[in-house]
This record gives sequence, C-alpha cells and structure tokens, in this order.
Amino acid sequence: MKKRPTVGEILQAKGVSRRGFLKYCATTASILALPPSMIPRIAEAIENARRTSVIWLSFQECTGCTESLTRSASPTVEGLIFDAISLDYHHTLQAAAGEQAEAARHAAMQENDGNYLVLVDGSIPLGNPGFSTIAGISNVDMLKETVAGAAAVVAIGSCAAFGGIPGADPNPTGAVSVMDLVTDKPVINVPGCPPIPMVMTAVLTQFLTFGELPELDALSRPLAFYGQTIHDRCYRRPFYEQGKFAKTFDDEGAKAGWCLYKLGCKGPTTYNACATTKWNNGTSFPIEAGHPCLGCSEPNFWDDGGFYEPLSTGHFDSGEKLAGAAAAGVALGAVAAAAGRRRQAKFMKEG
Amino acid sequence: MDLLEFAKGPALQVAAYILVAGSIWRLVGILLLKEKPDFSEPRQSGGLLAALKVIYTRSFTASPFKRATLYPKMMAYVMHLGLFAVVFLFVPHIMFFEGFLGFEWPGLPNSVIFFLGVAAVVSGIALLVRRITNPVLRLISNFDDYFSWFVTLFPIVTGLLISVRMGFRYETLLAIHILSVALLMIWLPFGKLGHTFLVFVTRGTTGMVFERRGAKT
Amino acid sequence: MTTPQHVPITASPFHGNVRPLLNEVLHALDKLLETREATTIDLASLPFGPGELEHLEALLGTGELSAKLDALGSSSIRETAYPGVWWLEHRNAFDEIVGRYLEITHTPEILSSQDADIIAGRAHLEEQFE
Repeated sequence: MKKRPTVGEILQAKGVSRRGFLKYCATTASILALPPSMIPRIAEAIENARRTSVIWLSFQECTGCTESLTRSASPTVEGLIFDAISLDYHHTLQAAAGEQAEAARHAAMQENDGNYLVLVDGSIPLGNPGFSTIAGISNVDMLKETVAGAAAVVAIGSCAAFGGIPGADPNPTGAVSVMDLVTDKPVINVPGCPPIPMVMTAVLTQFLTFGELPELDALSRPLAFYGQTIHDRCYRRPFYEQGKFAKTFDDEGAKAGWCLYKLGCKGPTTYNACATTKWNNGTSFPIEAGHPCLGCSEPNFWDDGGFYEPLSTGHFDSGEKLAGAAAAGVALGAVAAAAGRRRQAKFMKEG
Repeated sequence: MDLLEFAKGPALQVAAYILVAGSIWRLVGILLLKEKPDFSEPRQSGGLLAALKVIYTRSFTASPFKRATLYPKMMAYVMHLGLFAVVFLFVPHIMFFEGFLGFEWPGLPNSVIFFLGVAAVVSGIALLVRRITNPVLRLISNFDDYFSWFVTLFPIVTGLLISVRMGFRYETLLAIHILSVALLMIWLPFGKLGHTFLVFVTRGTTGMVFERRGAKT
Repeated sequence: MTTPQHVPITASPFHGNVRPLLNEVLHALDKLLETREATTIDLASLPFGPGELEHLEALLGTGELSAKLDALGSSSIRETAYPGVWWLEHRNAFDEIVGRYLEITHTPEILSSQDADIIAGRAHLEEQFE
C-alpha cells in the first residue's frame, strides 16, 4: 500500500508557513478543548498524522447530523483536516449511487483493512430487518460487515449513540444503538440532536492527530466535550446561585436573562459543550436564545419527563392515588383507635 | 430506567403513599381514642386557648432549667430552623412543591441555604455527640433515635454534596438525594420523627389536661 | 504617542463572567513578572453571555502595538491598554473568527519569525544569486 501523506506534508505542499501552521495548531487545540500549553504537542502530532479513510453509514436518521457537520466542515479550519481524511462512503454526500457506491465502500474496506474509521448516524432497527435497508442490505448486516475491519467506530448523534428518537417509547422498530451491537471494537459516542458541528470534527481531528482514542466517560463520550454539564459552564449560572429564575417565557426574569431552571432546563444533567463552543460559528446556544436545554445529548432524553418540567419536579402520577393512601390511613387509624378503645374499656371494667 | 428516573418516579411515589397513609393512620388512631374519664371537678375550664398557650410556652425552657439546657436547646433550634429553611426556602425545592401544590412562595439565595444547611448538619452532629457522651441520654436512646437522626441528616448531607459537586456526577447525586428523602418520608410517620405532625397535638393535649387540673403552665 | 485609554473596571453589567477572568489575567501578569512564564487563555472555552466578550474587549482597551498576520486567513495581534496583555484573533480564509485568545507574555510567539520559515526563506534568497 502506498504510504498516505502526513498532514504536515499536505500543509507544506499547500505553501502554508510555519506561522500559519502554529495558528492552525492553536485553533485546533481550541477546537479539541485542549489547554493552549498543548499546542507544541499538537503541532508535532499533526505533522506526522496520516490521511485516514472514513466510511459513513446512515441508518434510521433524519440527516440532521450530516447537515450539522457540513455547516462546520466547509469553511473553517476543519476543512483542512478534511483534506486529511478521505471520506470514501457517505450515501447522502457522495455522487455515486447503487452498485457503484457499494463498490466504493468495499474498496475502501479492503484497501484500509484494520485502519479505517466507521462513522454511524441513526439507530439500527432489530424488530424487522426490512424496516431500514441500504442497497437491499439491512442496517444491522451492513454495520457488522463494515465494522469488522475498522480501527474504531464513531456513533454520531443521539440515535446512533443511544437509540434516540427512533428508540423512544414505544420503540416501534426495536431500534438499538451502535454500542448495543458493536462490542469488539472501540466505540466513541458523539451524541446530540444534532451534535455540535465543531465537536464532531474535533473528535475526528483528535483521533487523526493523536491516532488514539480520546478519554471517554461512562457513556463512551469524549470527556473533552462531554466532561462538564451545560449548567456548570452556563453564563446564566450566577442567576441560579442568586435564586433568580424566569418563570414564564415572557416575564421580566426572561427578559433580564435569568436562569431557565424553572422552565425545565436540563442543563444540570446534560453533558455537552454548547455553553462554550456554541452554535452557528459561536453565535449562541439554546439558553442564550432564551430556551431551556432539552438535554439532547443524554440517553432517553425524549422520554425523560417533560421538556418544560423543572428537574426537581417529582413524577407523581395522580392525586387520586394519594387520596387513596390518605383514605387507607384513615381506615387504619380508625381500626387502631377501635382496638385501643376496646383495650381501654376492658381495662376500665377489670380495673 | 436510570437511577434518577427511578428516584423521581416510583421511589418518590411509594414514599409519598407511605408518608400520607402512615401519618394519617397515626393521627387518626390517636385522635379517635376515647378520653380517659376524669371524675374530678375541673379547676379551670381547659379549652383550646389552654392548648395554644402551652404550645407557645413550651417552646421556651422553664427558667430553672435554662442554664442546663441552653446548649442542646440552641443546637436543636439551629437544626430545626436550618432544616425548615433548606426544605422549604431553597428555590429548586419550592419548584418541587409547586409541581403538585400548584403555587409557589419566595425562596432564599443558594449561598444562604448552603450556610443554613451546613449549620443544620453541624448542630445535628453536635447533638449526636451529646447523645452518645451523656450517660443518661445514652441510656434512654434506642435504635429509633439513631436511625431517625440518620434519615434526617442524610438528605441534608447529600443535598450539600450536590451543591459542591463532590464524589459522583450531578444526576447520580441528585438521585441519591431524592432516594434519601424517600427514606425519610417512609420512616417519618412511624418512629420518633412522628413528632413532625404530633408535636403540637401532644403539647396541646398536655396544656388542656394541665389547665383542667389547675397547674401553672 | 497616544496614551493608552483606560476604561475603569467596574462590576460587569452583565452576568458577572468578566470579573473572574480579569482576576486570572492579574495572576498571569504576576507569574510573568516573577517567573517570566507566559499564559494563554482560550476565550472560546469560557462562558460569556451576550455582550460580555465585547465588554471585556472594551475594558482591556487598545495599547501601543498591533500587528496583522496573513497566514491561512488574517489574524490580528494587539497589545491591550495593559502592557503584557495581548488580544489575539485568528480568522480563516473566509474571514470567520476561528479563535480568540488572551496571551499574557512579553511577545506573542506567533510574532517571531519561525526557524522553519527562516530556513525556507534563506534557501529562496540563495536562489536569487544563481
């Protein structure tokens, strides 16, 4: 196999100066959420990173993740790192179709056996293989076949990572996540609905740059982006501490930009980078736009109670059952009192 | 279902049933008891007013005991008032109550609540130390006393841990906190914590009996 | 020479996220003076409410020196009104901001000519003699 060029060589060939390269490394560190002190290490790693083949599989998904990703990939520095990957299969983005597309996938798998990356968006239906197919191949078969020779699998979006909306109750297709099926390869989850574009490219960048898996949390999410809660990094946090909350979407508190906890914000239990990386090229994020966090990067966010219900609310099903409990209490009390009266009467009689 | 969902859902639900049924059981059981017949001539007409008077006067120590009980009394007040503020004046808690009561009330800033919570825990520990080191107190203490102490303090400690983010992740700590509250709710009607709803009933009854007998209250 | 304009530092009118950062800058300046160790603060990693970043920029003001770099898009390197505190902004080829940093240092590293570039440039100069 012909040695693929390193990223350093690619940049050099493009006539990028050392200063430009340093700048590139600084912004890469920023994207990777690494401290600026890591820049020399990144520079060294990037210079020696090799171009990697990537196969993107889309299963039960809405293409929102791809939409999100392309918002990041085209214009920014990550565009450069995309010079360093070879996106060999992505049935939404590629020009080829049908047999030709499948042939491209097989060719990439053979040429890069053991070294390519598989990216998956969408969940996999197990209820019936016919629920979702590509080129007549069921999702589960295509995943297993493609993952066999992969170096690692990246589950993009909450559907691939946790089952997402297709997996929401009552889960009609029997949708499962990538990590439910892939157990013998490293799986990196990049959840979100969709994930932040920068985070997706950064996870790829990190893997391509350092050639190793990033540090992951208990849900296999890279700690660099999913290590802190939205609440911990929220610019409205000082209002939470002061006990200042917006009570409706149009009251004085909402206008003053107070904490949205009372409006159901899931920031405290949601691990993601929205509060600092933000969306649309750093323009803002949901809380900055005045809407509570839905917790879209957490498992089962769709079924996890109401979006507008405060986190501290208990889930009581009805007042009737509680009234029933009260009635039971009255009955028990009456029985206990009757028994007490009998004892009392007996005592009085016998002395 | 994850731990937090379990805590917020079934655990809290069952605990609420037990709390309501148990508390009413004990209250009704006591209130429906037949009064012991008293054949003596009443010295004064014991009524509701007498009950209220004792409920108030017993909130303070009678002067002969003031010095001796100053320390535990103070600690107990700090613990009870701290606990009250933490439970009912912390804004996320108010939201919890609003969830089923449908109305809210003003709360205190988190930093004040944190301070009161720490004060409650410290005084609670001080009272436990006193209970263990004082031979008389130790003699009259049983499992109920220690367990009641534990189920009361544990939710405050877990709540404080959430605010300083110690040990586990937020959602795990929150789940443990809610479960610890569920434990408190389940135990509350049956042990000595029953004084939550019985304290003024018993004190009022004492007041009425004493008034009837002509005692100075 | 224009005197650096000082904007008085008052409590942030916004969400109180600016003040702690200024405190961090203060400590970084101490470190620079004592150990000559530079500090870089990635502004993208910090929570800012609407307008707070602009507020911070106004507070730090403009100092004596500013430079433009043209490599993989433009960059501006500007000393703030507080000597030793530099405001760096990197843009990509599409003129979108891709990174914002505060560097607390004597000279930001990116201003220095790099050995790799010097070697390439020297070779190029040598070619002129042939």
